Amino acid sequence: MASTSTTKRLNLYEWFKTITFYEILVGMKATLSHLLHYRPVTLQYPHEKRTLPDNYRGMLALLRYDDGTEKCVGCDLCEAACPSRVIRVVSAEVPGEPTKRYSKEYYMDMTRCLFCGMCVDACPVDALGMTREFEWAVYDKRQLHLNKQQLLAIGDRSFPVREKRLELQHPNVAFFNVAFKHVPPKPD
Amino acid sequence: MTEFGLRLAISLTQIAAVMGIVVVTVLILTLAERKVLGWMQDRMGPMEVGPYGILQPFADAIKLFFKEDIIPAGANKFLFTVAPILCLIPAFIGFAVIPWGPNQTFEINGITVRPFVISDINIGILYILAFASLGAYGIILGGWASNSKYSLLGGLRSAAQIISYELNVGLSIVGVLILAGSLSLVKITDAQAGGFWNWYLFALPAPQIFAFVVYVISSVAETNRVPFDLPEAESELVAGFFTEYSGLRFAFFFLAEYANMVLVSCVAAALFLGGCNAPYPGTIMALIGLPSLAWVENTMWFAVKTYSFLFLFFWLRATLPRLRYDQLMRFGWKVMLPIALGNIVVTALAVFFYQQMK
Repeated sequence: MASTSTTKRLNLYEWFKTITFYEILVGMKATLSHLLHYRPVTLQYPHEKRTLPDNYRGMLALLRYDDGTEKCVGCDLCEAACPSRVIRVVSAEVPGEPTKRYSKEYYMDMTRCLFCGMCVDACPVDALGMTREFEWAVYDKRQLHLNKQQLLAIGDRSFPVREKRLELQHPNVAFFNVAFKHVPPKPD
Repeated sequence: MTEFGLRLAISLTQIAAVMGIVVVTVLILTLAERKVLGWMQDRMGPMEVGPYGILQPFADAIKLFFKEDIIPAGANKFLFTVAPILCLIPAFIGFAVIPWGPNQTFEINGITVRPFVISDINIGILYILAFASLGAYGIILGGWASNSKYSLLGGLRSAAQIISYELNVGLSIVGVLILAGSLSLVKITDAQAGGFWNWYLFALPAPQIFAFVVYVISSVAETNRVPFDLPEAESELVAGFFTEYSGLRFAFFFLAEYANMVLVSCVAAALFLGGCNAPYPGTIMALIGLPSLAWVENTMWFAVKTYSFLFLFFWLRATLPRLRYDQLMRFGWKVMLPIALGNIVVTALAVFFYQQMK
């Protein structure tokens, strides 16, 4: 034990450092240099906002074609893809157009959404999009339970440039989700 | 008007002025502390209330004023109510003997008025130390009366800390008292006139540099500031002795803490840094032919010294982490106390031989 006590004994230089508070002075020099070279990292958030990255995944939205019709065909794939069961789709035939389907009701419980983007990947007709909106703090949690009209409104204000209908885009998809007038409509 | 009435009116005016200055200083300090701390940590500090957040102290004051005044269940109501006042009054009362400016007098109706000191009592520094010790009662009683373990622990820590560091403050001052031969702050300040080499920090025959270091460290500990803020250690004790306080009572404790900071800064300026004396002989105002305005320069120097000492408080807070309790005690009793005692011996011997040689 005698050897440890000799190694722990301070030499003159360290003793001098201790009595002059050398370490503390070094620290104080550091803080003072930060004061003199004042470059804050703060972003004054509500007044100035950071630029979002291009692949930012924000609020989800339902999209429309350029003629104003909804893109969604009610296939439920987004509901199946969603890992946190945000989405609920009630699919139905378009009234008067047998075999053509659409989402009669479409709900998103954004309180549970983790913004993974899997629903957008899953959608076969690109009916879902992720906007760059993120300021969705509300006082009542129920306001985050969005219905189809609200989701379409988000899409309308975030994606002003709309796609053409599928059948006008490419001949291969010309017969995707169209009405067969000779088929009798399914009972509701 | 009778002579007594006039004296009372003058004294009350002086008291009101000094209280006003101290409260305004505290208001400035609350903002300055957050700003300086922010700047040192690459932040901005408060920015929302008013331009660059300069109205933040008023917002805080209004908020504290209108907050609900909660007395916790099981608390000793009387002591709980008395404690903040017991803390606040000693913090403010010490300013009575601080000389803010030169030792001038003028006469109104045959009454001699000292405009820059409320009361020049001949035991000034002893009076300040006595009342600073009384402030500990407010903290201890507040901690005990809250009926909360955090408050009690904070209060007890504060009791031990203030007792051990008061001793060092008192002993570090003794060297200055030996040099000045007086306990009156006005006399001590006057003895340091004529350039910074006459300040007791540097004055021959016994420069009080070690005493000053001991005083700075002990006063930081005495006012419960970082790195000696164990009585209100946020990470351990929520807020220490005022955990259970809210509203105006909390504001009293807050005010007392900052007033104590200002007081120890004033005492440091008066005892070690020459008080209101400029670091050069005489004053510039007297030199350019305005000796009647010399008091402006002197009070400015006092303010500069006090504020730079207060800046040191913020600077230390931005830099240092909190000490452990045993480190605090060991440092106080085994390091600071011997240095202060040794300083007294050295100063006494130096003064004795200096006088023998003369």
